[in-house]
Amino acid sequence: MNMNKGGLIARINWPGAAVLVFVGLAWEAAVRSGLLEYEYLPAPSAIALGLSELAGEGILAPDITHTLISVVIGWTAATVLGISLGFLLGLSATARRYSLASIEVLRPMPGVAFAPVGLLLFGFSLKTEMVVTILPVLWPVLVNTMAGVIGVHQRLYDVGRTFRLGRRDTILRIILPAAMPLIIVGARIGLGLALILAVVAEMVGNPEGLGYGIVREQQALRPDLMFAYIVTVGFIGIVLNAGMLALAEALFPSFRQLQGGR
Amino acid sequence: MRYTRPWQRYFKLGMTALPSARGLLPLIVLLGAWQLLQTGNSPYFPPPSDWWNGLMLLSRSGRLYPALMATTITLLLGLILAVAVGTGVGLFIGVFPRLGRAIGPLLEFLRAIPPPAIVPVAILFMGYDERMKLTVVVLAAIWPILLNTSSAAERVHPLLLDVARSFRLSAVERMRLIILPSVVPAILLGIRVALPIAIVVTLLVEILTSIEGIGALMIGAQRNFQSPQVYGLLVLIGLFGLFVNNIFAVFEAILLRRWPPKTQSENF
Repeated sequence: MNMNKGGLIARINWPGAAVLVFVGLAWEAAVRSGLLEYEYLPAPSAIALGLSELAGEGILAPDITHTLISVVIGWTAATVLGISLGFLLGLSATARRYSLASIEVLRPMPGVAFAPVGLLLFGFSLKTEMVVTILPVLWPVLVNTMAGVIGVHQRLYDVGRTFRLGRRDTILRIILPAAMPLIIVGARIGLGLALILAVVAEMVGNPEGLGYGIVREQQALRPDLMFAYIVTVGFIGIVLNAGMLALAEALFPSFRQLQGGR
Repeated sequence: MRYTRPWQRYFKLGMTALPSARGLLPLIVLLGAWQLLQTGNSPYFPPPSDWWNGLMLLSRSGRLYPALMATTITLLLGLILAVAVGTGVGLFIGVFPRLGRAIGPLLEFLRAIPPPAIVPVAILFMGYDERMKLTVVVLAAIWPILLNTSSAAERVHPLLLDVARSFRLSAVERMRLIILPSVVPAILLGIRVALPIAIVVTLLVEILTSIEGIGALMIGAQRNFQSPQVYGLLVLIGLFGLFVNNIFAVFEAILLRRWPPKTQSENF
């Protein structure tokens, strides 16, 4: 995304942008001229107006905040847990042997399936959202961390031994940096998942935030506002992903090269 | 048809894709402890033996089997449609790079919409019916397949395309002999990613709309505070997901037996 600034104009995908604009305009024209006779299909301009309406009434900002907070809480908890367990399983072959199949059994559990359980235990609350969010986000982080730790080259361990590093130093200075690219990939997948699951949880489990907004406006037969919420969720997803990549690059300058090698 | 291989070999090959059973121990211990340590009749944490009774109750009332069938059929049909359309469109885009560049941003934009958000839209447009359920599953599952196919078709090794030119292959032959074999692993990877998404979205539609299916059964049980049934269905869904994933892993291993091995295995 941000290579050399010189070729910026040349690197913009003009045909792609043109198609995007064209589709938007065609959509607008089709709805306005009555060519598309769907009662519930708002024109892009109506969606934009819906967005400003939501923002103007002051409900969009609290909804965004609520969703973001649950994403951050769920993702942080799942990442911390996932990295710790991933390290444990990556370092110990015995732990791996006696738990991998359990993980493989639990991993395909769809997050939504926990919504009724969460509702049963906690009712309509943030806790229910966490029940839905944390477990599915845990898996990509855990599996990637484990793979990263297992994949550390034997020669790096030899380097550690040569420098007479203790167990703690070996983990912090040798294994962690070596496993970092995969851990970040896992955390990034997890962040995208956390947003989706928070929205899902708000749809079925906790009547607050952006997910509830989508369902609420659908039931109120306000497609313009519903689409405005959906666009907001999509936009937040893009921003979170870009932010995560930027953060990874800022913290670990070699990250891009490592990623490029894949 | 050159010659048929014995099916046992396929079976063995497929089984290597599955993890060893020894690792189930923690799960068994956990459930055993739950069963032994439960206080009796907690409304929130019923013992696993009650889960089974709850499921049996549902099964005897004749609601479990149709719901399971409905969910399975939606999932299967949705995936088949998503694979057919996704692979077709993906190949088309991949073979014409200019086209891919032109509609790439549009596709990325569409993909950025979280799959669950499609559900309310589809409800609004199509009402509460099976057709809507299927549409949502297809729309959610198609993106990983489509994008994987198109990017793999774009990156077919230039040497292979030169081979096609040297042999003066027609467009159809080039597609069948060069491009399709090179993108099969990517298509399968796309399906692997799409599988859990499809399951989640199917359940979500059922939970939100109460259209017949396991999700509807589960949310119904929760509304009636039938906690044993909720847990029982949760386990059933877990087993269902596990079954579908493993069936696919076996299928993938068999299908890919003539392709060069993956550099990084998913199962350690």
